[in-house]
Amino acid sequence: MNDILGALVGAVFQVAGLLAVAPLLRGGIKKMKATMQMRKGPPLLQGYYDLAKLFRKETVRSETASWVYVLGPRLYFAAAVAATMLVPVLVAASPLDGAGGILGLVGILALGRFALAAAALDTGSPFGGMGSSREMTIAALAEPALMLGLFTSALAAGSLDLGAVVRGALAPGALFRPSDILALSGLFVVLIAETGRIPVDNPATHLELTMIHEAMVLEYAGPDLALVEWASALKELLYITLLIDLFIPFGIATTLAPGPVAIAAVAWVAKVFVFGVVITLVETTNAKLRLFRVPELVAVSLGLGFIALAIRFL
Amino acid sequence: MSPLVVSALLPAALIIHALTIVGTVVTSRRARWCRRLTFSGSAIASVLMTAAASFVLASGHPLAGVLFVHAASGLVVDYLVTPLSAWFLIVLGAVGIPVALYSIGYMAHAIRSSRTAAVGVAFNVLIAAVSVVFVVNNVIGFLFAWEIMTLATAALVATEHETRTTLRAAYLYLIMSHVGTGALVAAFFTLASASGSMSFPTILTGDVVSGPLRDVLFGLFFFGFGVKAGVIPLHVWLPEAHPAAPSSISALMSAVLIKAGVYGLFRFCAFGLGTPAVAWGLTFVGVGTLSAILGVLYALMQNDLKRLLAYSTIENAGIILLGLGAGMTMRATGRPELAVVAIAASLYHVMNHAAFKGLLFLGAGSVVMATGTRQIEAMGGLLRRMPWTGACFLVGALAISGVPPLNGFTSEWLTFQALLLGFEFVPGLTRVNFPLAGALLALTSALAAVCFVKAFGITFLALPRTAAAGEARESPATMLVPLILLAVVCLALGLFPGSVLMVLGSVTASLPGLTPSSDLSRGGLTMAVGAGPFAQVTPAALAIAIVGGFALAGLLVVVTGATRVIRRAPTWGCGGTLGPRTEYSGAAFSKPLLMVFREVYRPTREVEALADVSPYFPTEVRYRVEIEPTFERHLYDPLARGVIRLAERMKVLQAGSLHAYLGYVLLLGAVLLIWLGGQ
Repeated sequence: MNDILGALVGAVFQVAGLLAVAPLLRGGIKKMKATMQMRKGPPLLQGYYDLAKLFRKETVRSETASWVYVLGPRLYFAAAVAATMLVPVLVAASPLDGAGGILGLVGILALGRFALAAAALDTGSPFGGMGSSREMTIAALAEPALMLGLFTSALAAGSLDLGAVVRGALAPGALFRPSDILALSGLFVVLIAETGRIPVDNPATHLELTMIHEAMVLEYAGPDLALVEWASALKELLYITLLIDLFIPFGIATTLAPGPVAIAAVAWVAKVFVFGVVITLVETTNAKLRLFRVPELVAVSLGLGFIALAIRFL
Repeated sequence: MSPLVVSALLPAALIIHALTIVGTVVTSRRARWCRRLTFSGSAIASVLMTAAASFVLASGHPLAGVLFVHAASGLVVDYLVTPLSAWFLIVLGAVGIPVALYSIGYMAHAIRSSRTAAVGVAFNVLIAAVSVVFVVNNVIGFLFAWEIMTLATAALVATEHETRTTLRAAYLYLIMSHVGTGALVAAFFTLASASGSMSFPTILTGDVVSGPLRDVLFGLFFFGFGVKAGVIPLHVWLPEAHPAAPSSISALMSAVLIKAGVYGLFRFCAFGLGTPAVAWGLTFVGVGTLSAILGVLYALMQNDLKRLLAYSTIENAGIILLGLGAGMTMRATGRPELAVVAIAASLYHVMNHAAFKGLLFLGAGSVVMATGTRQIEAMGGLLRRMPWTGACFLVGALAISGVPPLNGFTSEWLTFQALLLGFEFVPGLTRVNFPLAGALLALTSALAAVCFVKAFGITFLALPRTAAAGEARESPATMLVPLILLAVVCLALGLFPGSVLMVLGSVTASLPGLTPSSDLSRGGLTMAVGAGPFAQVTPAALAIAIVGGFALAGLLVVVTGATRVIRRAPTWGCGGTLGPRTEYSGAAFSKPLLMVFREVYRPTREVEALADVSPYFPTEVRYRVEIEPTFERHLYDPLARGVIRLAERMKVLQAGSLHAYLGYVLLLGAVLLIWLGGQ
């Protein structure tokens, strides 16, 4: 009973915390990008303003849409929230430890993607279909690379449970191995692909033919759109946290004492910031790839994952 | 239940089938009564069969008995419901009962009423034959039931035999099945002559043959059962035959008949020839991975809803084989405790695939009946017209895409676990195959999601593309209840993996050479792998988390908005008018993957622009794309040509001269005398 209560409290805090921080990450990346491009850029907190505005706006839905269209954003949001409970953030155990581990995380994110992609087809607009088709294609191609990268860490820890993976990486004697660089690069490509960043997708574009994720959610407005935006931001933060957990978990708390948790919080913020800077650099220095060049990029990521696995265990 | 009652269940089920057949023939003039009688009779028999199977699984004791005694020849056909048989019987029941109930309503519209009796008889014969295949304990009985099963299926496929393609599909099925059965006859009789017995317990001890002969037998069994299981490259009949049959029969074929082949692979290939060789296991892993990935890739390109589902059956047969192959490899390398996990994953997927594929095919049947077409490009917007069918189809689509908390997720989870365990604990370079197969399984599962977003989205969402789709009507309750039933089964199998694995524990414990493992199940809701906490999963917890997130989303919308007026507006038409013609089509949806995997598909594309005034202002653009039927063109066409050429050459022998024929007989006699006399 205490376990369940603890898990519940942990889950609530983690979800609330990450939901609160997620828009800041997107705003931060936007700001850094603007600075690098000698622009002023939107305020750091623009993400929050946008969400507040969208939630207050009226809901406009397509006449042709059915309940799937309403369900899509909510399920997408629900999946991102549920996935948050499976990832260790400040403490080396996730609130829902043992509920599903890595495969549960991947499965839940797939559920959210399925819901939103199906909903995008519901308006009858060709944009929705186009975005849905492209998003699902890229996600499908990224999936094996993601799994292989996750498997490498899981096999090293002897567990598919993320809490156990983090604890394994923290164990004395566990070093940063050369193979980790390959695995990290591979998974970073997946992160770019899954969160719709340049060079795979451009989150800032509304140019007809280049949109992927944005095309999929083009018809959404008001609170529906707010849910999608917030969930996307949460998902991005989640992927970054996942990479932190797998490769640089140092500093994460192993107990619930206030001291270590505070240190862990500082370390986590610093690491997320570093990832944000890297993403900014990648976005600023690269051009968006043609859709049909993306498979090559993802194939490289898959190759890196496989080589990492081979180096690590053979 | 008293033992007497239990032992009577199985014969009673067969007798009910027989009585139903008699009743069907008697009432054949009155289609309405005939339909009710024949399908409810079948459903009742399936209930009894399932009860017998549940008893075996609950008690762990096999159920034995005699089906048929032929005093003159001394032939005794006996049956033995082992836990493995019982598991497959339950799979049959889980699909057979809903399919029978669905058929009562469906067959009224799907087939001519003059054919009701014929279809009813074939249906009952088929279900009875499949049950006998799963339980019979004797070579003669098995081959007999196997053949009846094939013939009954062919008859059902050919229900609409006026259509040329249907007839062709039925013939293709018959030919391939019979070549497969030929391989089985050869394998069984080799075993029987080597052991001097026709009884399965004697010939399947595992030490009847050894050396290269054992490998040959493995090959024959693999070929014979592989054809039925529909694995690539023995699959070519499947995408033709499954869609050609009436939809409830397609459901039965995809969900259960494929499993007859899988049962054979389990019973004879994996556990009938002694400890498998590593090469056997890797063959299964290889063929399974190939079937899974190619099956889903071909499924993605189909715009015929039933063909799409048929190709996806090939994919799932591949996943089943992948688990089985991993288990065989582990057993061959001396890790029976790991093999248990892989075998359980495979058996779990057998059940899961039956549930969601049965659901999807029945849903497709309702859709096809309502719209009069199988082309998803001619559908659209059906969710509004057919809300219940659509919701059930969505459940099936989510389940087959492997997302929690539905059942596709649990068996794929277990398969992944098995592959990881294989990599960690199996020695040598063999283990590299496991993560490779795992990565391809991940790709398969993600592509399946793409495929079923397309299947569901293009069929059920947005605007109707044709008038027929716009006037579709929801099916009657008799057809909805079976769908809902199967949707609930999908959810239950996903939420209670622990209970399923508890049952599977007694199945794996009964298989030779596997270390019994009881710790796969941790209560009803949780399944885990191995003694240590390598990993465990509680889909119910995931479901609660998702429901929690869903509630939060709803709460956010309610709390933030003071006045919540939902305005309905037309979809933005990019400056033009939106209509069915501007919707994204199924072909367009899968186009990016067509381009990405063009090396696999080798598409031929044809774009034709029709213009009145100037070629710059086309009035109509036609786009056609065809993917190359690789196996048909490069494997089966040369094979068929070779057979025909050989037959042409042999025509010389058939000269039509009586003297020549007498000469052959004389020659044969002489050769036999010399050969037999020499021994």
